[in-house]
Amino acid sequence: MMQFYFSNIVLIQATMTGLLLALSIQVPIRMGVFSFAGAGAYGIGCYAGAIFVLDHQLGAIPTIVITCLMTGVIVLALGVLIQKLTGLYLAMATVAFCLIISVIAINGGTTTGGSTGRYGVISDFTMGGMFAITAVALVLVALSERGRLGRRVDAVREDPELAASMGVNVRRYRLVAFAVSGVLGGLAGSMNILVRSAVSPLDIGFHLIVLALTMIIVGGSLSWKGAVLGALIFTWLPDLLKVVGQWQELIYGVIVALAAVLLPRGLYGIYVDTKRSVQRRRREAAGPPAGGSDDETHAERLEPEMEGQR
Amino acid sequence: MQDLLTVISLGSIYLLFALGMSLTWGTIDILNFSHGSIFMFSTFTSYLVLGETTLPFVAVALIAVVVGAVLSVAIQVLAFEQIIKRARTKKNAEMQILIGGIGIAIIPLAIAQHHTKSNPFGLRASSFEVETWLLGDLRVTNISVITIVVAVALWAAVSLWLHRSRHGLALRSIGVDAEVASLMGVDRRRLALATMAVSGGLAGLAGVLFTFSLGALTPESGDTLLVKAFAIIILGGVGSMLGVAFGAFFLAACEVWVLTQTSGSWVEAVSFGLIFLVLLVRPAGVFGRKEVRRT
Repeated sequence: MMQFYFSNIVLIQATMTGLLLALSIQVPIRMGVFSFAGAGAYGIGCYAGAIFVLDHQLGAIPTIVITCLMTGVIVLALGVLIQKLTGLYLAMATVAFCLIISVIAINGGTTTGGSTGRYGVISDFTMGGMFAITAVALVLVALSERGRLGRRVDAVREDPELAASMGVNVRRYRLVAFAVSGVLGGLAGSMNILVRSAVSPLDIGFHLIVLALTMIIVGGSLSWKGAVLGALIFTWLPDLLKVVGQWQELIYGVIVALAAVLLPRGLYGIYVDTKRSVQRRRREAAGPPAGGSDDETHAERLEPEMEGQR
Repeated sequence: MQDLLTVISLGSIYLLFALGMSLTWGTIDILNFSHGSIFMFSTFTSYLVLGETTLPFVAVALIAVVVGAVLSVAIQVLAFEQIIKRARTKKNAEMQILIGGIGIAIIPLAIAQHHTKSNPFGLRASSFEVETWLLGDLRVTNISVITIVVAVALWAAVSLWLHRSRHGLALRSIGVDAEVASLMGVDRRRLALATMAVSGGLAGLAGVLFTFSLGALTPESGDTLLVKAFAIIILGGVGSMLGVAFGAFFLAACEVWVLTQTSGSWVEAVSFGLIFLVLLVRPAGVFGRKEVRRT
């Protein structure tokens, strides 16, 4: 067990940063905001982490806290700027934001280290701290999917007009989506730099968006479980795909394309669907419920449909 | 003067590339994220064929156009049509087409990267020679003349077709209201396929001209061009033919200006910055009509 842990520690770290990156894009999507700004926040997080540790000699925890606050505010400001945009326009504006970060990183002189980037970032960050921070972030995101808050989030995504008429402040929810996405992206980026100790402009860019999208789309876009599933698959798959060597990228592309076409709700969506149909079959096999009122059958019929929205 | 010529020939390549994207986005509502990959892969195919035999310019361009059109139609049939068929709402379909396009784009890129080991490839092996003529102080290459003439002619042809022919009218009606268009007897599927084929062919042609004028193409250059094309379309207004021409030459002018003013690699930031600026100030673009659908 320990043997496995130590020989795969890099992959375990990558799973956690990948998961947080995926969440930083999934959280806004769950609120109906198609924003990739989380990937930009990840880039800022990597560089800010390096700068705080190398140039200001900060410890690991202060670095992470300050970086997250910073990226949260930056992405929130971006959100305020582009809040009127929707759909593809919003998506492309945030893609532009991410790409501008890379250009700034290349042209940043000694602060960002130009095209070689920053390296030698050694700090007192421990694996225990990393596990704890990831777990806390995951629990907080999971909580936002439950109860009143979860229902409001679903309403904001599925029908903003309806949500507004029920007294939900849609605008505020959308802005919160930006801020949360910035914090999560910054968290992923700063933890990544603290365990990897180096960052270059090549590490942050369009491929981050592709990676995060891949995880979310294949795993399932509307539940944190989908993000976990996706992060696990796409961190460990390359290791398993060593057999195919250079064709790994190709297989990635095929998987994403197939998932986008055939299972828009991801593996987690399939799991939910199968569970539903198995349950229904079992209920049918047990015979019609004795004295079942109209209400009950009606609710039963509605249930899968509601789940379909999820 | 030399800079002006650079602007015009660079803008012509941008125009050819963005024209196809604008056409599909403005009419059949498909923002094709694999357009950059089609651009790269059709040139790559010409490069592979040139490895076997020597061909004249026209044959090289023809191969790229055909490959581009075939790829584009294949993507439409295998991916986008399936997505549209399955999606619950139009909004969902748009997003899935975007994501599916990103996924599909990886496939040709991976093949080309594997084959060239991510090195640039050129079309040197063709029998076409780049010649330079001196007109006073001005250095003019034959490829830049060809590029400019082809781009402007095709742009004019596509615009005329879209605004004067019955098919063009049908296509534009899909862009306004797809359902009513079908009720009027417009065969949406066939027109969509034809549009995708034209768009892919334009991408292939742009690839060959781009490679001839710059000497080489890297497998990754399609991605950069994609974002630039997006900036061009946004700037001009989605679906506007006048807009796409304006956007292409405007972006080329801005880039050449930044290139002559700064030493750093800020050129890449021009298109990204433009996207932002336009979306903030005038989301419909310079020549855009007011968008009907607003959510």
